Amino acid sequence: MTATTVPEAATGVLPRADGSAKYSHAGYIVTGSVNGPIEAQRRDEHPYEAHVDVIVRPAAGIGGTRERHLESILQSSLAQIILVKNFPRSLIQIVLQIEHSPENDYVNTKLVQANLNISIMPALFQTSVLALLSAGVPMKAIATATAVALSHQNGTKQTIVDPSPREVETAQSVHVLAFTSHDELLLAESEGHFTVNEWDDVYETARKVCCRPTTQKEGIAMVLDDEDASGPDMRHFVRSTMESKVATDLHWK
Amino acid sequence: MTTPGLSFTRPVFAKLSPHPYLLRNLSPSSPGARPARTNGRAPQEARPVHINASSLSHAHGSALVRTGDTTVICGVRGEILPVERIPQYRPLDIRKRHQDEGGEGAVEAAVGRGELKDYDLLVPNIELATGSAPQFLPGVPPTPLAQTLSTRVYSLLHATGLVEAADLRIWYDHSKAKGEEREDTNMGEQEEEEERVEGKEERVVAYWVLYIDLLFVSFDGNPFDAAWAAVVAALRDTKLPVARWDLDREMVVCSRTESRKLHVKGLPVACSAAVFMEKEQAEAGTAVGEGRHWILLDPDRLEESLCREMITMVVDCSDGETRIKHIEKQGGTVLGRELIRGYAGVAEGRWKEIRGAMK
Repeated sequence: MTATTVPEAATGVLPRADGSAKYSHAGYIVTGSVNGPIEAQRRDEHPYEAHVDVIVRPAAGIGGTRERHLESILQSSLAQIILVKNFPRSLIQIVLQIEHSPENDYVNTKLVQANLNISIMPALFQTSVLALLSAGVPMKAIATATAVALSHQNGTKQTIVDPSPREVETAQSVHVLAFTSHDELLLAESEGHFTVNEWDDVYETARKVCCRPTTQKEGIAMVLDDEDASGPDMRHFVRSTMESKVATDLHWK
Repeated sequence: MTTPGLSFTRPVFAKLSPHPYLLRNLSPSSPGARPARTNGRAPQEARPVHINASSLSHAHGSALVRTGDTTVICGVRGEILPVERIPQYRPLDIRKRHQDEGGEGAVEAAVGRGELKDYDLLVPNIELATGSAPQFLPGVPPTPLAQTLSTRVYSLLHATGLVEAADLRIWYDHSKAKGEEREDTNMGEQEEEEERVEGKEERVVAYWVLYIDLLFVSFDGNPFDAAWAAVVAALRDTKLPVARWDLDREMVVCSRTESRKLHVKGLPVACSAAVFMEKEQAEAGTAVGEGRHWILLDPDRLEESLCREMITMVVDCSDGETRIKHIEKQGGTVLGRELIRGYAGVAEGRWKEIRGAMK
């Protein structure tokens, strides 16, 4: 798989994991595997619920403090959508390997960076949701995430969905928002400087990407075409990926 | 004979079942009682902050911040990094210095931020001391909490542009140096280099690297707010000695007497809260409005262990207008758009408290 600007995904790519997914979007490629529910280590065991363990591996080098932070954010969000109470004393392990990330040609590339790159979060989030679906882990909702950058250029405000590293660098503020399939805000990370009203605009833009309503037509979910300019429709994308997966799995029938 | 009653004292109840204990405190059965948290505070009441600057004698800047039982001490120490030690060093365009002095705009700030990031001029580190809280054991590698905190401090330091790269550059001014001393033949190497960049008589010879070390003396919840307040207070307190390039010794020398205050831009203040749910281990995605919730400002250790959803907002009102610098909300779905909008007002109030404590 090569890095793409439009979302692309494949599930079940790793034969030995319970579930896996490969996801490519906005220059990022991430492979994720899910194993679970499996036996938890003694210290992670919780008497009432499953422990969700997220491991993020960077494209080069070993994980540092930045990856620990990404893991903690993903862990707390994913534990909310997985039905953790169904599997007490067990472990659901999610491993995310970043395979490719877009480069910024304007700056020196450094192997180890402590700075948090929040624009990678949507790719990690989407991969883990797809891998969880592929593993058949019971979830009460799916979640979709997107990155939005706000920049001021020549006095005009610009809202960029899925910004490139260069756009992230020049932007005034960068935001990552994740919504559950019940249209609730699950995760919000923002950086830069902005006002409450600007954040509100970002919220609206992200909501359009993540929770675009689908119109039911003869039992088939149809997407409205008139909103093409506002970026990809993530929820529909996850849905169609899983639909095509189910279709190929049931091909023999 | 009286049967022993099945009632516990408050500390025993808190230890045995912390969630019902906090819930009972927040929703008292008698109508007259004011809902309060177990620590006696109202839900939207933060602990008072005490800040003591310059508490360490050997650091260039330091601050001790205490909010309730969370105490954190921050020391800033500058170390000199000569440019020849920097891999992939790109000499700075000389015009930039004059632009800096003239107070240039956004493009200049972006260049400065590049330097800070590329050469790692800000190095924060957080240590959660053994014994500051029962969960921190001796002799273990840094916990995920400590690593997460230091990444958050690092990212926020760069995102807010608190420290300017111009303050950390050590210049060599050729024209000034010429007047003071004659150049020797053994200065050939320097001369060649300067001739290559012809017409440029000033250049950056070294940078100050700021090591920002934080130590939690005692830990009672809400570590990020305290840590960030300590970083800001310590940087505002930092005085770096005036340094210049000595041609004879070919090294940077610092003045013993003169020192220069670091210019800190703005006053960003972090404000955290946790969301306490009525139902224990409530999950997202279930029917909206199920169960009550309370937003507990500045949670302590007991409250943090019972809450999943957390929000941290960093605001700066020093320009008169409230600017949000950072939002981090995770672990739940209670805080939606309206609550986050409203939370900005709460953070503003906290900003005023911290500003009062900084003075």
